[in-house]
Amino acid sequence: MMELLQKELGEALQACEQVGKELRIRVTPQQLVPVTRLCKQHGYTYPCDITAVDMRTELVLVYRLIAPDSGEQVVVKVGAPRSGARIPTVSGVYGAAEWLEREVYDLFGVRFEGHPDLRRILLTDDWEGHPLLK
Amino acid sequence: MLQSSVRTEQVTLNMGPQHPSTHGVLRLELVLDGEVVVDARPVIGYLHRGVEKIGEARTYPQFLPYTDRIDYLSAASNNGAYVQAVEKLMGVEVPDRAKYLRVIALELNRIASHLVFIATFANDLAATTVFLYAIRERELIMDLFEMWVGARLTQSTFRIGGVTEDIPEEFLPKAREFCALLPKRLEEYDRLLTGNRIFEARTRGVGILPPEVAWDYACSGPTLRGSGVSFDVRRAEPYEAYDQVDFEVVTHPACDCLGRYLVRMGEMRESVRIIAQCVDRLPQGEVRAKVGRVVKPPAGEAYGRVESPRGEFGCYVVSDGGTSPVRVRLRAPSFFHLAALPQMLRGWKMGDVVAILGSIDIVLGEVDR
Repeated sequence: MMELLQKELGEALQACEQVGKELRIRVTPQQLVPVTRLCKQHGYTYPCDITAVDMRTELVLVYRLIAPDSGEQVVVKVGAPRSGARIPTVSGVYGAAEWLEREVYDLFGVRFEGHPDLRRILLTDDWEGHPLLK
Repeated sequence: MLQSSVRTEQVTLNMGPQHPSTHGVLRLELVLDGEVVVDARPVIGYLHRGVEKIGEARTYPQFLPYTDRIDYLSAASNNGAYVQAVEKLMGVEVPDRAKYLRVIALELNRIASHLVFIATFANDLAATTVFLYAIRERELIMDLFEMWVGARLTQSTFRIGGVTEDIPEEFLPKAREFCALLPKRLEEYDRLLTGNRIFEARTRGVGILPPEVAWDYACSGPTLRGSGVSFDVRRAEPYEAYDQVDFEVVTHPACDCLGRYLVRMGEMRESVRIIAQCVDRLPQGEVRAKVGRVVKPPAGEAYGRVESPRGEFGCYVVSDGGTSPVRVRLRAPSFFHLAALPQMLRGWKMGDVVAILGSIDIVLGEVDR
């Protein structure tokens, strides 16, 4: 998978590291949808998790995709500004992304472009702010 | 003739948040055409307690008891995912005896949780008696935990590096007794429920979840295995002592409510087998590795995953080398199953909603966190 991603992405692959069963990569927001689609085509059919981490300097979105047969994981990371971030949605690739992205929007304020129904999910609609930002 | 002259329209019906079959506080917005569900929109968040945010303000050991309360029917699996992530970060090697004790705790919790499922699922379908039977057996598990750690529901059996304390002398004989008793009681449930014609009519062929939809929505646990997929974290990525015990991954090809019920019934029998093996082979030795009072994992990230009674429960911990995590992300299986629920509900009648919702066995505590 690592060679495949290196070949397909070239310069757009900002970081790539194998840790145990996890292949951790970092890509640009523009590459996110093509990368997830590529992973799905190569057996990573289980969109285990989508979340974000506030690293104080930037937000890091974390997409954990798992190949159920081999147990191999691809962890796709995308950097985003801490406020006003706009990231393309992957809900067209994985159904589970629809709710997961709503949660990331709710708690971190990331707007997912192209999302069919981007509303708050855990907090009330009139809540102000995004509580998981530091 | 008559039909064309009658004007019909769709109605939106609110089910919950205080509906007995939602097992907590969940609201379903149902769009109905007569009795038929056209669309469903689950509305969640009523039980949101901000656990992930709390995690960032607590030290690593302090956060452990909070995890018990996420999926409060299965405290051990939440503990398991969290300590697994922290131990991966720290590179702690857990003693063998603790690994076996952890498996015993995890499987006892799985049975206890599945018993609550059987009880409430039957109750939702108007078979009230089964509720009392299943809760009776669950009581024995609560007693075992009380004997071991003092608590019954939110036990915090796990510690970073092992378990809280060794089991008392009388624990193993009582656990053996339980392992001998439960299969007989499961036969009783089968006679009460499994072959019951009303129960079968309410569940067979109802609420179909095709395997490809289940994957797309990242379903796991009995919800996925009830669609004929053999995927179990205990087998896919063995943790604790699961690579040393013999067990079957129970699946059922039906993709319906009955299939998901039968998977859980089968899993309880497998859990009994696992517990019996662990009780027989329990190694001697320490129950906790030496971990200092101040837990400071090196900077980095780790993902711990366990097979909870509901599916894959994951915990993603990011550390900056300090005493508190930068981020604790809790990946709760019920959240995913609830997202997939509309796929199962569309086209079924209002009366089936309760059966379908019951069959995915959600816990709102972990949906809302």
